Amino acid sequence: MSDKQEKPNKNSRREFLQNIGMAGLGSILGGSAIWAGINYDNKKTKNDRIRVLTAQNELVEVERSQVKTIAKSTQETFTYLQQRGRDGIAGKRWVMVIDLSKCRNARKCMEACQSAHHLRPEQHHINVLKMQETENTPAFYMPKPCQHCDNPPCTAVCPVDATFKRQDGIVLIDNERCIGCRFCIAACPYSARVFNWAEPLYSELDKDTVYDVEKNVPQRKGTISKCLFSADRVREGKLPYCVSACPNGVYYFGDENEDAVTNGTTKETVRFKKLLADNGGYTLMPELGTHPRVYYLPPKGKVYPFQDKDREEAAEHLG
Amino acid sequence: MLKNKLNTRLFVTFSLATLLILNCFSATWDVPADQKEKKSYIKFDKQTSSQGEVLYNANCASCHGNPGKNNILKSLNPIPPDLSGKSSQALSDGDLQYILNTGRGLMPNFKNVISAEDQWKVISYLRGFNPNYVQELSKFDPNKSKLVKLTAKFDSKANILTVMALADEKSGKIPIIKAEIAVFVKRYFGNMQIEKTVLTDNFGKAQVVFPKDLPGNKTGDLEVLVKLFDENYGEVQTTNKLAIGVPTDKPALNEKRAIWNVLAKAPIWTLSLYLLGVFAFILLLLYLLNNLRKLYNSKTI
Repeated sequence: MSDKQEKPNKNSRREFLQNIGMAGLGSILGGSAIWAGINYDNKKTKNDRIRVLTAQNELVEVERSQVKTIAKSTQETFTYLQQRGRDGIAGKRWVMVIDLSKCRNARKCMEACQSAHHLRPEQHHINVLKMQETENTPAFYMPKPCQHCDNPPCTAVCPVDATFKRQDGIVLIDNERCIGCRFCIAACPYSARVFNWAEPLYSELDKDTVYDVEKNVPQRKGTISKCLFSADRVREGKLPYCVSACPNGVYYFGDENEDAVTNGTTKETVRFKKLLADNGGYTLMPELGTHPRVYYLPPKGKVYPFQDKDREEAAEHLG
Repeated sequence: MLKNKLNTRLFVTFSLATLLILNCFSATWDVPADQKEKKSYIKFDKQTSSQGEVLYNANCASCHGNPGKNNILKSLNPIPPDLSGKSSQALSDGDLQYILNTGRGLMPNFKNVISAEDQWKVISYLRGFNPNYVQELSKFDPNKSKLVKLTAKFDSKANILTVMALADEKSGKIPIIKAEIAVFVKRYFGNMQIEKTVLTDNFGKAQVVFPKDLPGNKTGDLEVLVKLFDENYGEVQTTNKLAIGVPTDKPALNEKRAIWNVLAKAPIWTLSLYLLGVFAFILLLLYLLNNLRKLYNSKTI
């Protein structure tokens, strides 16, 4: 307080001019620095910048001088989509129930699947088989996707951890790691896997698409593909492609932990265990101990008869 | 005598079969008169139409195809009609909603799947394909549904969920009588109905027996939806979080060490057997080499 009062006021004009001078000099220096900076920036060519894909899958441009390389741990070698695909959804155990009594061989499931996963017409993630088990038993249509076993023989034989089982039960393939040895095809008792022998159908179109493990798109020549339980759709709370495309109410899909499955056609949700108990649900080849996550309801009380044109193909199973 | 009996039997079977076939394939629906006259209380416009299109594509398009695009699923019997066609458009709005709510044969009923309001939106979308259609609005006032007070109480001893439906009218609280009450539990892909739809009694009360073994979340919480449908008050629903489920916290399916799991989770015996095997082999090699050296040094060769 007292300081302020004692300060002489006489020099205030000189001080003022001094301040103005300082400010002027400062702004000239600052301005020229900015101008030089802009000039420097403009002179930079494309070679001074670098394009980087962020973890959120955004393409950004940064200056080369700003880039710092960080030593990678093994966990960080995966991209965001790869890691997400490996992690799965916590607290879920997906199950599918296929009601054979309702299948009319409409093949809409196959169509929806092939278009979603960019497959060739002869490649099937899901295939409606024409079945005849013995000569005296009736023939029936049987859609067969990957069984997503709880004890999967395919992942046991993979030498590079390219195929793996997630916490929610889905068995997936990471084509960035797949070496195309096809051990898994040989190991799978359900013939659920296909190999990309030829250049994939949309390889030109998918050139710039970032690889999504949960969709296996883009497909890549020399790698394996198979049913993914539509892991990308399930993440969004939607039913798998095949399930929602079926016009006949064949498919139920849901979470075993919630004891509920939802029909893809009627969108009706019912209790999973009760559905199996009431209709005599079973799994394919239980004697192998693979513990499939796909359950079947027997073709009892079919309304739609087996078509004569399909008999020949069905009889092939009789051997 | 015997022949006569056989004839009557044949006749009965034949007529029954015809009836059945007629029932299945008849193009007409027996819609009750009061349902036929039902009209939408929401005005059909561009917004309701585009909302209806999303619902249509998700629930109807797999069989009925896109209206006017001639991509109906023809392998079905009977063949589902193109809903933009003349015969379908000749049906009243009430007819269409009745068909959605009841279903028949291959046509599922959507009563518990699509709410009444959304059903009108689907119909709004379909009416967009009919240039001659003029909408008549229902006299129902949607604000009336705001008067409804739905409360749900759970009796854990008897395992019964009691729903009370009261309307806050000017004359005081009055019970809503003979309204449809449906109880659902929220699941990942949709709502699951508990028991069957019940009607409220003279006190506006309805009871639903709840299953004891329904899995909830980690703490056993269940999201319970109570839906009321009444002619006068429309459709109302409330959601309650009740701790009445079985607490469920199952471990991840890839948690255990197994031969099919990734390298980090390989069984201990495989890892140890492999490592010991390699180590033992190297030792054996060294031992053999050493023997060779000894042999050389002894110069007995």
